[in-house]
Amino acid sequence: MSDTIREADARVDLALIARWQRGDERAATELVERHAPALARFAVTQGVRDGADELVQDTFVRAFSSLHSFRADSSLRTWLFTILKRLVLDRQRAERRGPQQVELEERHAVQEFNALDGLVADEAMLRVRNAVAHLSPLQREVFTLRVMEGLPYTEIAQVVGSTEGACRVHYHNAMRAIKEYLSDD
Amino acid sequence: MTDCPNGEMRDLLPEYAHGVLGAEDTARVAAHVAACDDCRAELALIGRVRESVTLGVPRTNVAAIVGALPAPRAASGKPALYASPRRDVAWKTWQYAAAAGLVLAVGSGVVWQRTSVGTGARFADSSQVRTSPAPAETTHATAPLTPEDGITFGGGLSDLSLNDLQALLGQMDSLKTLPSTDPQSVTPVIASNEGGKTL
Ligand SMILES: [Zn+2]
Repeated sequence: MSDTIREADARVDLALIARWQRGDERAATELVERHAPALARFAVTQGVRDGADELVQDTFVRAFSSLHSFRADSSLRTWLFTILKRLVLDRQRAERRGPQQVELEERHAVQEFNALDGLVADEAMLRVRNAVAHLSPLQREVFTLRVMEGLPYTEIAQVVGSTEGACRVHYHNAMRAIKEYLSDD
Repeated sequence: MTDCPNGEMRDLLPEYAHGVLGAEDTARVAAHVAACDDCRAELALIGRVRESVTLGVPRTNVAAIVGALPAPRAASGKPALYASPRRDVAWKTWQYAAAAGLVLAVGSGVVWQRTSVGTGARFADSSQVRTSPAPAETTHATAPLTPEDGITFGGGLSDLSLNDLQALLGQMDSLKTLPSTDPQSVTPVIASNEGGKTL
């Protein structure tokens, strides 16, 4: 079962945390190397363009500041994603200027996610990016955690604050929406 | 692009793509994908999504992040990883419980009438501590206490809410018949997640 691989992964994290708590700073470097790229991907797909690296840094600072409250019954990865998601939401709320801003923000998120399209030379790649960008925010969260990071529904549900069943539905709806977008385009 | 009717296989495709499935599931999905055009197309789409999304993601500066982290805690042998987020509440609960236990323990000779301290005020188990003198072989005018009469204190105290415990302590404070024994002269060691703690 995949749980064995995930459990082994989680055990590596726990061992690194224990090393860090004993004063081994290299363990922190390993932990950051293991998780920072995935956090950056998640931030970007949630519409963060400028300062994604700062948000990732803030995520680690907060996590390491409260490792004593980390429960080993959820994975460190899930916990980090949860912290990052909250930071992204906080930033989006801070930038909100009025109730009608929500729709604008979603459009803004789509534009930001697509803003780097100049870097994507391949037209097919561009279309795939657009397809992902046009998912609803919740669908995009679930879909990217599943496809980009290979997270199980149990962990995705914890990050997005939903149930496994709902996340499964969101994932398959997202996949269907992307296929339709690509076939219509 | 159509959807494969095999929901289980479709569900496993992202994890298959990430190589996080166990050997058995990997073999099952591989065999299915080899024979299923829909799943092969969906797997290819998953690969394209991963590739296209990754293109726009900035590289993270590991050194900068590590440099911003707080200093690691001094080695203390604390098994912090397994601490519950409700640890503070749990610890306070045990502080109240220990305080209540102390006063009850030194309060022998004081017969407490049953008082209302909330629905969780009664707990009786095999390790009951009675606040009254041992009733056995006594000829006191006072009838021996039964569990219905006296306050008993057992392992169930941890089930009390903080409000219950605060109410209990408040009532104990108001009692004028408490002996003058200073409970603070006793420093019990309470086992906790963080090792020994003294009150
Ligand atoms: Zn199939």
